Amino acid sequence: MRGLRTLLWVGIAALGALAFAAVALHRGEQINALWLVTAAFCTYAVGYRFYSKFIASKVLALDPQRATPAERLEDGRDYVPTNKWVVFGHHFAAIAGPGPLVGPVLAAQFGYLPGTLWILVGALFGGCVQDFVILLFSVRRDGKSLTQMAREEVGPIGGVVAYAAVLSILVILLGVIALVVVNALKQSPWGTFTIGMIMPVAMLMGIYLRRLRPGRVLETSALGFVLVMTAVVAGKWAAVSQVTVPSIRWFIDGRALPHFVLEPLSSALTLSAPGLAFLLILYGFAAAIIPVWLLLAPRDYLATFVKLGTIALLALGIVVMHPTLQMPALTKFVDGTGPVFAGKVFPFAFITIACGAVSGFHSLISSGTTPKLMRRETEARMVGYGAMMCESMVAIMATVAACVMEPGTYFAINSPAGVAGGLPEKAAATISGWGFPVTADAMHRLAQNVGEVTLFNRTGGAPAFAVGMAHIFSNSLGGQAVMAVWYHFALMFEALFILTVLDAGTRVGRFMLQDALGHVWKPLARTSWYPSIVATSALMVAAWGYFLWQGVRDPLGGINSLWPLFGIANQLLATAALCIATTIILKTRRATYLAVTLVPLTFLVIVTFTASWHKIFDPDPRIGFLAQARQLAAAGGNARLIFNNRLDAVVTGLLILMVALLLIESVRQWIGALSGRRASATTETPFVMTRLAEERG
Amino acid sequence: MKLIRVLRAILSEIFEESAYERFCAREGVARGRESYAAFVRGRRVQAKCC
Repeated sequence: MRGLRTLLWVGIAALGALAFAAVALHRGEQINALWLVTAAFCTYAVGYRFYSKFIASKVLALDPQRATPAERLEDGRDYVPTNKWVVFGHHFAAIAGPGPLVGPVLAAQFGYLPGTLWILVGALFGGCVQDFVILLFSVRRDGKSLTQMAREEVGPIGGVVAYAAVLSILVILLGVIALVVVNALKQSPWGTFTIGMIMPVAMLMGIYLRRLRPGRVLETSALGFVLVMTAVVAGKWAAVSQVTVPSIRWFIDGRALPHFVLEPLSSALTLSAPGLAFLLILYGFAAAIIPVWLLLAPRDYLATFVKLGTIALLALGIVVMHPTLQMPALTKFVDGTGPVFAGKVFPFAFITIACGAVSGFHSLISSGTTPKLMRRETEARMVGYGAMMCESMVAIMATVAACVMEPGTYFAINSPAGVAGGLPEKAAATISGWGFPVTADAMHRLAQNVGEVTLFNRTGGAPAFAVGMAHIFSNSLGGQAVMAVWYHFALMFEALFILTVLDAGTRVGRFMLQDALGHVWKPLARTSWYPSIVATSALMVAAWGYFLWQGVRDPLGGINSLWPLFGIANQLLATAALCIATTIILKTRRATYLAVTLVPLTFLVIVTFTASWHKIFDPDPRIGFLAQARQLAAAGGNARLIFNNRLDAVVTGLLILMVALLLIESVRQWIGALSGRRASATTETPFVMTRLAEERG
Repeated sequence: MKLIRVLRAILSEIFEESAYERFCAREGVARGRESYAAFVRGRRVQAKCC
């Protein structure tokens, strides 16, 4: 039996190696997407079986006899011992968002290879490890949050830095993902109608849940899904409808001046980027101040319902269709001249793909509700390491979706007008000149097939992913006739993800602000005091709204500046999490295994510091914020754009400064612990024998 | 059958139906509008990852 098992694992490893060879060594010929999927599957299998087991037994010494906080502090509310599969599903639903869909699509400008390798290696040795160790350390500290662990294990500076890092990443993240939605929906009446209908559907669900069928969430979500799918199909009619409706126009001659007009529904739904930005800012504010049950909770249920189903469907579609990748393994844009975002493959591929490889944000979830549900310590391996592997698989699927379309089409969709040109013929000629043939006619036909006016300059990753997903789905289910429906379904799916992050993030940011401002004036900390709710919600929305507005007004499309800024912020949070984990490993006298967290930490420090340096000081105006500000100033450019670039440089610098402080504090702790000069007590809760194990034994 | 039971439990947990049942059991209240309103009032918003 043992021999058979060994043989099986040798077989999986050999198949993985073969798939990696196919993925990495094919040059000048197309490969099938199944090679990517096979390489990923084998990597995850081997990584989970051997590496996570090594971490579980040697580094963390998981103890099935040790009672978890869910058992010791069980209160039926926050602390509840829960079946491991249930915790796994809960954790996965919380960590999987739009990030693993958007990042890999943007990074596909380098070809499929860099992104794929980073997703697999980064997840195996970085992301999965981070999620696993932070989850376990939180379990051993009564489910404490990352900021609490930073304060207690690294020191007060660590606590303040972690708090500031979390708040900063929230603000930048919300601004960037809102920009992804704006870019996906601008001049897209069908998409705008579909996404717009999510709000009334969610509110109907909220009322249904509250008044008619209290607590029947699954049933309500299924009904909500039917209504949203109806909206997806009805969007086709709305996009051409001449029915006169009252609507709001936001601008007159480029100046913000909201006013009511009567116009055809199709015109009312055809919105500019600034108009959509206004609406999203209003949505974020409304979602933060109105009762949770009315909008946020039902919309959250709906998003989860769609998320779980669609991810499974996409995986099935890729396996059934096994499409051929049209994108080469490497493009010439690895040299940093890419149109989607500027910067060389190192370090920019590594900050563009965060979720899917390593995402600092996950450490907040791993130290949030999940540790309070764990029934046994040993289950942290499956939940922490395993759920991140699944998210990594989602990122691989997004890479496939981006790479199954013709490269010329990919670049036509993702290149901003400021780089490729504003007119279809000009953009097509520019992109063809890069060596990726595309014609304005072909793009026009594709736009018609998916029910859009144009697909040129649709930056942000969401439309490209939607085209790829529609391509995969329509070839397996329904054919070309329903490609437009699949495209808008994919857009709705992404927007739903993003709205979930947007409204939950705004509310969480509001709580954090209230908590901090409460130290200045106590009433501000009261979460039920309406003036405080409104003021802190407005502050939070204004902060991310500023970044959104900046992106909308950016002549290079915004994604070029803001996505790297988000990537840096997210990876810096991962740096902070791995710093805390390394400190705890050292304090628990397991220095022999320090490399498990120290290696990914060192890599992330190198990546984020290098990327930050480039984003601030690079002399190329497409990369460096300061260089772009100088160029704009020399050309007598818009003062606001110049200010924005300088602001982005300062924000990047502050993020780096925060993490440098945390690193210095951590290193002081490490030296103290290694030399024995510093008291190296950890705040781990004392061992208590589990009753569950006793019952079993 | 076990698979279906586990899947059902996962969905119930993700969609907070189990949490509501626990709430009713803990508070000794029946399912209904009032108890659901009280349950939702105590619900915490968790940040969702990107």
